[in-house]
Amino acid sequence: MTIKRYGTGIIMTFMILFLTSAMTLLAFREGGFDEMLFLKGVIIAAVFLLQYNILGIVFKHIDRLSLLIADFLCIIGIVMLYRMNPDAGDRQFIWILVGNALMIVALNIIRKANNFGKANFVFMVLAVAMLAIPLILPSRLGTSNWLRIGPFSFQPSEFVKILFLIVTAFFLSTKNRKRDMWPYFLFTIACVGLLVFSKDLGTALLFAGTFLIVFYVATGSLGITLLSLGAFAGGALVSYQLFDHVKVRVEVWKDPWATYDGQGYQIVQGLLAIASGGLLGTGLGNGMPTSIPVHETDYIFAAIAEEFGNIVAIAIIGLYIVFIVRGILIAMGARTKFSKLLVFGATCMLSLQSFIIIGGVIKLIPLTGITMPFVSLGGSSMMSSMILLGIIEGVAVNNGELDEAEISEMGGGIE
Amino acid sequence: MKKPNIKKNMQGMLFIFVAMFCVLGGYLLFINVTYGEEWFSTPYNPRISTANNIANAGDIYDRNGVLLAHSEGSTRHYAQDADLRRAVSHTVGDVYGKSLGAETYFAKYLYGHDRGLLNTIATAASGTSGGDVYLTIDARLCEYIYDNMDYNGAVVLMDYTTGEVLASVSVPTFDPENIENDDDETGSKFLNRVVQGRYAPGSTMKIVTTAAALEQGVTDMEINCTGSAVVGGETVTCPTSSGHGHVDFTSAFVRSCNIYYAELSVRLGGTAMMRNADKFAFNYEFNFQDFNMLKSNFELSGRDYDLAWAGVGQYKDLVTPMHNMMITAGIANGGTVMEPKTLLEVKYGDRTAYSFSPSRFRDETSPAIADTISELMRATVDHGTATSADIGGVTINGKTGTAEYVDGGAVKNHSWFVGFSDDPQHPYAIAVILEGAGFGSAHATPLAGQIFSKALDLGY
Repeated sequence: MTIKRYGTGIIMTFMILFLTSAMTLLAFREGGFDEMLFLKGVIIAAVFLLQYNILGIVFKHIDRLSLLIADFLCIIGIVMLYRMNPDAGDRQFIWILVGNALMIVALNIIRKANNFGKANFVFMVLAVAMLAIPLILPSRLGTSNWLRIGPFSFQPSEFVKILFLIVTAFFLSTKNRKRDMWPYFLFTIACVGLLVFSKDLGTALLFAGTFLIVFYVATGSLGITLLSLGAFAGGALVSYQLFDHVKVRVEVWKDPWATYDGQGYQIVQGLLAIASGGLLGTGLGNGMPTSIPVHETDYIFAAIAEEFGNIVAIAIIGLYIVFIVRGILIAMGARTKFSKLLVFGATCMLSLQSFIIIGGVIKLIPLTGITMPFVSLGGSSMMSSMILLGIIEGVAVNNGELDEAEISEMGGGIE
Repeated sequence: MKKPNIKKNMQGMLFIFVAMFCVLGGYLLFINVTYGEEWFSTPYNPRISTANNIANAGDIYDRNGVLLAHSEGSTRHYAQDADLRRAVSHTVGDVYGKSLGAETYFAKYLYGHDRGLLNTIATAASGTSGGDVYLTIDARLCEYIYDNMDYNGAVVLMDYTTGEVLASVSVPTFDPENIENDDDETGSKFLNRVVQGRYAPGSTMKIVTTAAALEQGVTDMEINCTGSAVVGGETVTCPTSSGHGHVDFTSAFVRSCNIYYAELSVRLGGTAMMRNADKFAFNYEFNFQDFNMLKSNFELSGRDYDLAWAGVGQYKDLVTPMHNMMITAGIANGGTVMEPKTLLEVKYGDRTAYSFSPSRFRDETSPAIADTISELMRATVDHGTATSADIGGVTINGKTGTAEYVDGGAVKNHSWFVGFSDDPQHPYAIAVILEGAGFGSAHATPLAGQIFSKALDLGY
């Protein structure tokens, strides 16, 4: 029996065409021809082409669709960044390179790792410390959710995400009795609590949501899941009463137009950008995405909707659906409970994060500041998203090799 | 503990995730279809005034093709004649959102926002991406009105059978040619008083109160007016200190007797008066297609004295000139008010993308009551307070109003006239308000007459 893989190379070809034509268009934008920008486009295209082909050759069983979707999100993000601020584009290019390196490292670690055993307790302490330090020493080490070491500053919460997923998978795969899980429950509460205090509401929501979903999937315990859901809802209600910044978010969500020149400004500008784009968009370079606040990070989705049109914005949402389906299929194919839950958690986290920020930008849910994975400008975000992708791909590669071994035992193969 | 079925749980979560992202995409599509054009056209959208957009924007014309706004390079220019430009300044508006007019409300057409494939092809030949907008107004008539207004105020004239706004003028005006650096807001000159100015209706409110009385069948009241009377514990006065003498239902309207209407209002009662005001669209959020309009106010306190003055168009009664004109337009049109519209046509190249069609706003009263009030308004022009609106060539029905307001401690009067030309060939309703001018009969009414004459001369 032979299992034949479908060809996905043509998708990469179209993505490269999109990237190079967009960069050529941008090179012509200022009148004259910006050779440097065009050259950068060619280099970025080459990087993606090499990344996709080399990874495909080295890791025969890498999940191509997940990789292509992540690559496409990186490409549309970097095109948008070069259009709005070429410096940001350059920086993002470096982050994409670093991110790819980290993805390969993560992929290899996950292929060999078991479940990190006792190290998980170190991870827990490390995670809580990373979230707490900026809170305790805000004046010395940075603002509420940033940590500065020497010339580098990074968002600890982005890296805590990975630790959180590993710890989650560890506890839920090794502990069968609920009373053995209390360190994990305390850990989750500590993470979410610290995030709320550092005003990083989007990430707090992301952690709480990921916990609920992975916990339910792993234990099937509707009772505890609903109890936790109630606890988080109660916590949300209390923080609504307690913290003004939570209250403001909800008020602004209910009617951003009432304070369009104050607190609602950001949401209104995002909605105006989306509305101005219409279905087909203004075309790359013809809109005014730079008038949206934080257009390089949290609001890059609105910028894309304006210039590429809502048809592309909706297509991106569609890509997330494919990404989720692939991620969950890989999780279901994993051989160990730990890797099942780890991949499922990583898929969950990336999808939930995208849902929270897109939903906030289009005013479906209250806006909480969080980056859009692979698309937003930012080193920490790009690195952690790439590591999560590496985790998913590592398990996919393992799955493929085990599948192949089983099939060849039966006398077949995978092409 | 029962062994959980992780695969099954994952499948379940997969469905939930897919559903969540479908909602996300669906909602994005929904807001685009439902609010896309409205949001694009808000004055808060900084995209409208960008050089690139202005260079591609379409022209604005009046109903006869008189050019009111166009782009030269990346600057917006308006009608050449300074008086004409000012006369239509509020209706046309500006690209900076200082005054809300066609430039803002019809931005989606002018900038070709989401115009679709056929329109894109149609505009490709002309070199711009925007559509040309034709307004229902006649710029010459607007200019005539502007030239003849000696006070601040507003005038609006509409075809009451279709809802086409033929003229709309708000004074003071501004010059759109230099608006970008014009920060002088003396007299709220950027405010379009026709739809954003709220005034006490004064005696023009008696039209509404009369409708309530006819509805209740209370037409038999007769009083002896001595110029003042005690209603609800306090004194109500008529402007003529000697009083109107013996007045009945008809003469109270024609001679505009406050005391009669004060007592009539109290007799009708607060509930009936409030229900009647609701029918005439007081306290109603107008959500018109072509422009934003403030809502009018009618409220009661429970005291008879306040009810009495509310029925005479004082107390807390507030109305925009456009709404007051609509009330009269409904009387003229057998009780049915048409939705006022200012957009006549939109063209992308030679392709018509929008053309005016009338729509009914509401039935404010029955045809029979409308006819009765119409006759009272005719008598008012024939031998009552509005005789100066009487012109040759067409029958005018109308009602004057003098609305008291306090300005820096001194009591002053807004001069009102509402009315219509009662002729199927010339179906126009008008509202005129001149701020602080004095009696309605002395200022607003003769101006309304002149405007009707001019409209006739222009062939309307």
